Amino acid sequence: MPMDIDALLKSLEASGLATRIRDSVYLFPMIESTHVIGLALVFGTIAIIDLRLLGLASTHRSFQRMASDILKWTWAAFVLTVLTGSLMFTTNAAVYYHNLFFRTKMLLLALSGINMLFFELTAGRTIHRWDQAPSAPRAARAVAALSLAMWIGIICMGRLIGFTTSRAAAAPTPPAGVNFDDFLQGTPSDNGTQTTPAQHK
Amino acid sequence: MVKQFAEWLSTTSPSVFIQNHNGWVIPTIQSIHIIGIAVVLGSVFMIYLRILGWAGMDQTLRQTTSRFGPWLTGGLYLMLATGVLMVIGEPVRELVTFSFWLKMFLVAVSTVFAAAFQVSLRKHEQRWEETLIKRRSIQGLAILTFLIWVCIIILGRLIAYDHIWGPWSPATKA
Repeated sequence: MPMDIDALLKSLEASGLATRIRDSVYLFPMIESTHVIGLALVFGTIAIIDLRLLGLASTHRSFQRMASDILKWTWAAFVLTVLTGSLMFTTNAAVYYHNLFFRTKMLLLALSGINMLFFELTAGRTIHRWDQAPSAPRAARAVAALSLAMWIGIICMGRLIGFTTSRAAAAPTPPAGVNFDDFLQGTPSDNGTQTTPAQHK
Repeated sequence: MVKQFAEWLSTTSPSVFIQNHNGWVIPTIQSIHIIGIAVVLGSVFMIYLRILGWAGMDQTLRQTTSRFGPWLTGGLYLMLATGVLMVIGEPVRELVTFSFWLKMFLVAVSTVFAAAFQVSLRKHEQRWEETLIKRRSIQGLAILTFLIWVCIIILGRLIAYDHIWGPWSPATKA
């Protein structure tokens, strides 16, 4: 029920936590910076694994060894981005929820989860056979290439959210599928700084 | 001085071009800059983990730096290129801030650290692998330099929020 969702989003925005973040000069920028540090570690470490699968880097190392060395840090950093992302979401929930780039980003995140699951169900089951090989089987290489592309997409969508949810851009809900230049023109390039006072009822 | 330069820069044709296409040019450049951050932070992270003995212990320190060093350098060049474009595109927003100049100072410090480490490792490879890497002081230094990279990222984001520095920010005086 869209009504229920809107009510939920509004109550999120009105929560003590969201209000506290909005009212603080420091909290939102610090949460956003932590989000950037987290995503840099997520993408940086995932790229190391993907390049190994593709046979483009670290080709002489055991895949298993690399995965067990690195992926725990990836997950820790991912948890950090989810926490900081959720905190940012609460401050302006209704606007983010209806934002096209936010939705695309969530879709890409879900797809990269499915992509990972696909790896586990295919090449992930036969690691012992290709662990030392310079590149992984075809299915795993496809997963790795898709993963790199989707994470780059996630980063670009994330940045665009900051350009389209600021006060000026947020007021009218922009229609989907318009010319990209029109869509963004006139929005201050200040990356969502002013999401705070936007009370768009 | 800086403000005048920034204002002059904003009248030059490359800057005007970016301003006229700011709808997609600036977000694209910023996204590439963030991908650069991921490459740089990911690379230094792996080298620090190896120094601390928390990952990559099947590799020597030298193997680890030859794997990630070139990516670190490449990532830094990517960030320099996209960073210069962002300054050209929005000179006043970038240059007339406290965050930007503190960030540049820390970038210079980190780059000197990274270069000194590379040179020292090449010269005293055996000593690094056998004794230096186990020293508490070296491990402390590794954590410290990682924290400098973290501060650089925070300051980069704070360029958009320079008012939080209060009287230290030249932007608030404008």
